[in-house]
Amino acid sequence: MPDISRGAEPRPVEPKRDWAHEIRARLSPLNLDAAREMEIVEELSQHLDEEYEELRQTGATDADARRLALEELLGPEALAAYMRPLRQARVSPPVQPGGPRRSLLRDLAQDLRYALAALRRQPGFAAGAILTLALGIGANSAIFALVDATLLRPLPLPEPERAVMIAERTAASSDERVAPNNLTDWAERSRSVETIGGFMGGVGGMVMAGADGVAETVSRQWVTAAVFDALGVRPVAGRMFLPDDDRTRANVVVLSESFWRARYNGDTSIVGRDIRLDGENYTVVGVAPDSAQLIGKTDLWALVAITGAPPRARASHVFRAVGRLKPGITLAAADADLGAVASALAQEYPKTNEGRGVTLVPFDVAVIGADLRHTSTLFLGVVAFVLLICCANVANLLLARATARSRELAIRSAMGADRSRLIRQLLTESLVLSVAGGALGLALGAAILRVAPSVIPDGLLPPAIALAFDMRLVAFCAGAALFVGLLFGLAPAWQATALQSAQALGQDNRTTVGGGGRLRNILVAGEVATAVLLLVGAGLLLRTLLAVQNIDRGYRAESALTMMVDPLGSEYPTPEALLQFYDAVEHEVRALPGVRDMAWATTVPMGMSYEGQRFVDMGGDPPVDDNERPTADYQVVSPSYFQALDLPIVTGRAFDQRDTSGGVPVCIVNEAFVRTHLRGRDPIGMRVAIRSDVEAPAREREIVGVARQVRGRPDETDEFEQVYVPMMQDPTGDMFLIVRPATGSASALAPSVRGAVARVDKQQLVSVRDVMTLEDVAWEATGRHRFRAVLVTAFAALALVLAMVGLFGILAYSVQRRVRDLGVRRALGATTGDVVRSVVGGAARVLGVGLAIGVALSLALGRVLESMLFGVQPVDPVTFVLVVAVLALTALVAVAGPAWKATRVDPVVALRSE
Amino acid sequence: MPDIDDRMLDRELKKGSAELIILSIVEERARHGYEISKLIEARSEGQLKFHVASLYPLLYRLEERGWLHGRWVEKAGERRRRFYWLTSEGRRVLARQRETWKTFVRAMGLVTGVEHA
Repeated sequence: MPDISRGAEPRPVEPKRDWAHEIRARLSPLNLDAAREMEIVEELSQHLDEEYEELRQTGATDADARRLALEELLGPEALAAYMRPLRQARVSPPVQPGGPRRSLLRDLAQDLRYALAALRRQPGFAAGAILTLALGIGANSAIFALVDATLLRPLPLPEPERAVMIAERTAASSDERVAPNNLTDWAERSRSVETIGGFMGGVGGMVMAGADGVAETVSRQWVTAAVFDALGVRPVAGRMFLPDDDRTRANVVVLSESFWRARYNGDTSIVGRDIRLDGENYTVVGVAPDSAQLIGKTDLWALVAITGAPPRARASHVFRAVGRLKPGITLAAADADLGAVASALAQEYPKTNEGRGVTLVPFDVAVIGADLRHTSTLFLGVVAFVLLICCANVANLLLARATARSRELAIRSAMGADRSRLIRQLLTESLVLSVAGGALGLALGAAILRVAPSVIPDGLLPPAIALAFDMRLVAFCAGAALFVGLLFGLAPAWQATALQSAQALGQDNRTTVGGGGRLRNILVAGEVATAVLLLVGAGLLLRTLLAVQNIDRGYRAESALTMMVDPLGSEYPTPEALLQFYDAVEHEVRALPGVRDMAWATTVPMGMSYEGQRFVDMGGDPPVDDNERPTADYQVVSPSYFQALDLPIVTGRAFDQRDTSGGVPVCIVNEAFVRTHLRGRDPIGMRVAIRSDVEAPAREREIVGVARQVRGRPDETDEFEQVYVPMMQDPTGDMFLIVRPATGSASALAPSVRGAVARVDKQQLVSVRDVMTLEDVAWEATGRHRFRAVLVTAFAALALVLAMVGLFGILAYSVQRRVRDLGVRRALGATTGDVVRSVVGGAARVLGVGLAIGVALSLALGRVLESMLFGVQPVDPVTFVLVVAVLALTALVAVAGPAWKATRVDPVVALRSE
Repeated sequence: MPDIDDRMLDRELKKGSAELIILSIVEERARHGYEISKLIEARSEGQLKFHVASLYPLLYRLEERGWLHGRWVEKAGERRRRFYWLTSEGRRVLARQRETWKTFVRAMGLVTGVEHA
């Protein structure tokens, strides 16, 4: 057997002198603080020890030296007498932690003091735990703000539960727009709805020339007179629209509060004044609060009169409708009531209303939308998991600490502390940690919310809904802190106090990890599983983002500048005048250096489509019912459009000089259109009847070419049917000017293109807006995917780091506890490989279990995420393999330190420790 | 030189100036209790001696007043010891008491005719 005690010096046997007993007896009448008493006993014992040693060295016998040294304490009462005037002897008898129950409040104060002192003694531990919690609570508070704004908080309207979104329902869709005549009839005949207002979904811009001569583009929304009453909003100044405005077809507008404040400094005298919009006079009648923008972001609302709409308007489904239920009416009752009204209308007007019912949706559900609900819920789930990991990590730290403190706790328990008292003491410590973490987390959440508006993509949040830092958020943080404090504190406290005192006292602190170790392993396995789950989610969303960003957009132009040009109707009243303006601008722009090509279009790929959907009928096909008439995206383009965007014409020809206003009406359709409507027939020469609404007269057009498919949205899965029409045959006021540069950056052309517009008509410069490149447009179109992917990835990375910290923690701790064990193994001839295997083996098991659970959960998660994925399957092998690789790699880093330390254990040093 | 009772001197000195003695001892550097007691004994050539029962309560009192600062100090291979430092407040008090003491001794000399060394 090797000499394992080699190098250990035999300790000199120290004379046993129990000064402590003597001193303690003399101090006992004082009832000092236990810790203070121990200090004094230690200090005085030392003094007496030295006195004794000195006496022995001068030749005194053991008995004499002991007697003389004890004389230093004078009589039995002297020490207490000298001590009594001191403050430390006058303090009220303090509670020993773990002492018998006394006043609850005093106990609490004592627990707090003790907890603070305990944490101060281990600043590294305290800082680690507080930071971990702050990260978890901070991330949660920021996401809570999003969830609160979108899912929890009622909309900023009076009695928001009375507001409902009303749509027409057909066999094909439950969310059809409403015809003006139906809107009027519903409101008049319904007994459950107080009022119904309509608004036009797409918000367009118009040029406003103010009294001060400043012209600018403002956004406006067309609404019916009742829309503000339906929302329940009261005017900030002036009045809202009245039924009389509708009957007299007055040119009136209501300003939005933010526009009124920004543009008119909140001046109430604007009410009653006229402003010029697109060359026409409108009277400002009032100012509406910004909460009215829940129906669409806009600077002002212009009245659209619907009284006395012609019967054929019953087929124009143009309005979105918001209604206000009478007090006490349920959604179901209103649904039944309006349903009856709709079926009566269907009998009266079978041609237009046959098969048309109504759909009622609570207004908040309609405004927030399924996409945002999904996103909020996803984030909430993700951050909740991150918080759980944080809790597990802190619980792990506490468990390790509690094991190290088991002796201390056992002593207190032996001195008569009951278990509940000890648990409370330990819980106080964890609550102190969580409160500090919560406070820091709140600050972190506030910081995140400060930068959030610049990160959240436009249009993700409905207008008039903002992320707020308010008392609700503070309350949430406080609740979260309390919850996690109890959660991560209870298990360690329970476990630490479960040991029998004798057992703990007998422990020599050298054994390998015991019961606490098992609990810690389970926690870390849970962390790993959670990290895997989040990593898989992040991976799937990142793959979606990649798919969406690398989608074949259809056109090949790598870069182009786009801007909306909207000539004033008053200056260019006729189609000829418009075309002359467009021609003149084209002439100027083509003359610019660095311009390769240019075109006009009402749509930019993946961006806004100004003309929207039109009804299409293939000539020769059997007539289709009005309600099932197919539609296609209608795009007015100049002849150079296909060449400028490098959009291939797969069959037939592009537009050219033949396609003038006097020529044969023609159109070009895309591949999806051919697949859906031509069904194997040769498209060239076929005739399509196109109309803006089912009642409008049809315009027949001959198909002259088929263009390659262009995407309307990056993540569209349905076939997107498009019809292109030459600009000469249908000139319109809102056109995108698309300029393709010869080389280099498209955005650099913006100033010179603006200059070109100004040379044609300086006044029209004001109508130029939305200056972007095609790249910007595509970037914005993928904003939601990016937002989701980036956020979830960030959280997943955080989770991974935390899980690895957890893994590192248990390993480092177990190595530290096993130093002696490892030393013995080394001394018995274990190789470095053996030691590494014995250390890493445990970690690998924890990692493996966590990984297996995580993968199993991820398989289920895929289905939850499915609606947010595009171009990737929920069970994506690439993602899973990558996640496992990332996990293995980071685990290597986490394990390396402790394993290296284990191999460095020197048997000699190890065996001498403790 | 008149004969002065040793015990009386002991009592008087301790009563009025025990604090001054201790503050002086730790003036140049921090010391622990045993060292302080030995130094007092040595510097007074054995005439002054504080017992453990009185020395430590005195140290604690000076600490409570903020004139001394006591702290446990650990050195490799030794037991930890409690060292006492003179605080800046203690330094001010020491200067003032020295002045008072000198005045007192001079006055005593003048009144009683005892010449001091």
